[in-house]
Amino acid sequence: MSESFTPPGEPVTFWYGCNVLRHGDIIHSCLDILRALGFEPSPVGGPDYCCGTVKDVNQITAGGMATRTVGRLNARAARVVAWCPSCHSHMHDFMERANDRQFDMTYLVDLLYARRDALAPLLVHPVPMRVLVHKHVGFNELVPVNRMVPELLQMIPGIEVVHDDYVAPGYMCASFAGMPKALEDIHANTVRAAKAAGAEAVVCTFHQCFRELCGLDASGYTQVYNYIQLIARSMGLPYEDEYKAWKRAGDGAAQMIGPERIAKVGIEFYERAILPELKKRPVLPK
Amino acid sequence: MSAADEPKRDARMAIGARLKEFQQSEVERILSACTTCGKCYEVCPMTQYSKTPAAPGEAVVPGVLAVLRGEPGSAAALGWIAVCTRSGVCVPACPHQVDPRMMMRLARMTALGGRGLPKQIETREDPDYFNRVRAFAKLQLTDEELKEWTE
Repeated sequence: MSESFTPPGEPVTFWYGCNVLRHGDIIHSCLDILRALGFEPSPVGGPDYCCGTVKDVNQITAGGMATRTVGRLNARAARVVAWCPSCHSHMHDFMERANDRQFDMTYLVDLLYARRDALAPLLVHPVPMRVLVHKHVGFNELVPVNRMVPELLQMIPGIEVVHDDYVAPGYMCASFAGMPKALEDIHANTVRAAKAAGAEAVVCTFHQCFRELCGLDASGYTQVYNYIQLIARSMGLPYEDEYKAWKRAGDGAAQMIGPERIAKVGIEFYERAILPELKKRPVLPK
Repeated sequence: MSAADEPKRDARMAIGARLKEFQQSEVERILSACTTCGKCYEVCPMTQYSKTPAAPGEAVVPGVLAVLRGEPGSAAALGWIAVCTRSGVCVPACPHQVDPRMMMRLARMTALGGRGLPKQIETREDPDYFNRVRAFAKLQLTDEELKEWTE
């Protein structure tokens, strides 16, 4: 065998979900991290790979989405690595109960934790920061992310993970979009917990929480990151968090995005459906 | 519909039937296992956000089971169903392994009209939900990535 020969990595399908498409840096970082750990990830996601969990109002549609997605995943690699907690739990609770799943399912946090001995030497750049991990009570019994993510972060040189007893209800923040009082409480308790623990930043496990809590960052309450962004930074990966930059910029986001990219989605749609999200800020009790 | 399309239609019907069958079997399991002790309601961190006043758990849970049977749920039960966000702390609290999170999920699907029964609670559907996802994808990924990763 030649010394320069690199054995092929294990092919995996990286099923990232839908809404993380707001965060290209997270998807790109996950792919680089998986490659660095010896996998050959093939990414799929978006509405054409929807799990159907958002369609509680129509189980015929949800069932069709689930069947289409399981079928498409069956046709790919023997292992699927899921990013999205909604997709992962919906596969566990419903999709695989009504379809013939022919692949192994792994949640990314589980995979990174299992491969942490290989990940640790890749974390070479210090990220000096005191961080509080934003936790929810749900999902943790399926994958113990509330224990694993702090341990993964603690491997990053310079990071100090601080603790507070606050654990938010629900399994992720986006579930609270229709319950403003509950979301306000989560925001307020998260800021209080971060301050009480002396944290400079709040770190989310899920993109759904990151998206919601980015408003706290944009409003200057606390810095907010996704855990993958800090692992990526420590590995020296170059991806920029554009979503947060756009969120901070609000009305100024259009200039950062540029007319060419906005033309791809249409100015009318951008102003009606994208800009309000970027301008939305949390309401914290006074 | 042409004769050539019929196998596809039959396959789709069969697929939907499996999900429906699974959900119905879970409903029947839950209805037979639940003693309406109310412990799931009592430990739920979301009851404080219900639009209906707090009530004893054993008075609320029968309304959830009624929804699963396709009957009208009580105001307290529908209020609780509307705010369930899958916290899951009800699961270990249940002394009879009912899996109250599954009970609430199925009750929510049912109350929203998702299982073909009359709608009992409203939800705000975002008509731009998937279009917004697609739009962000166009802003964040290259054309090649879009084609290879999302289609």
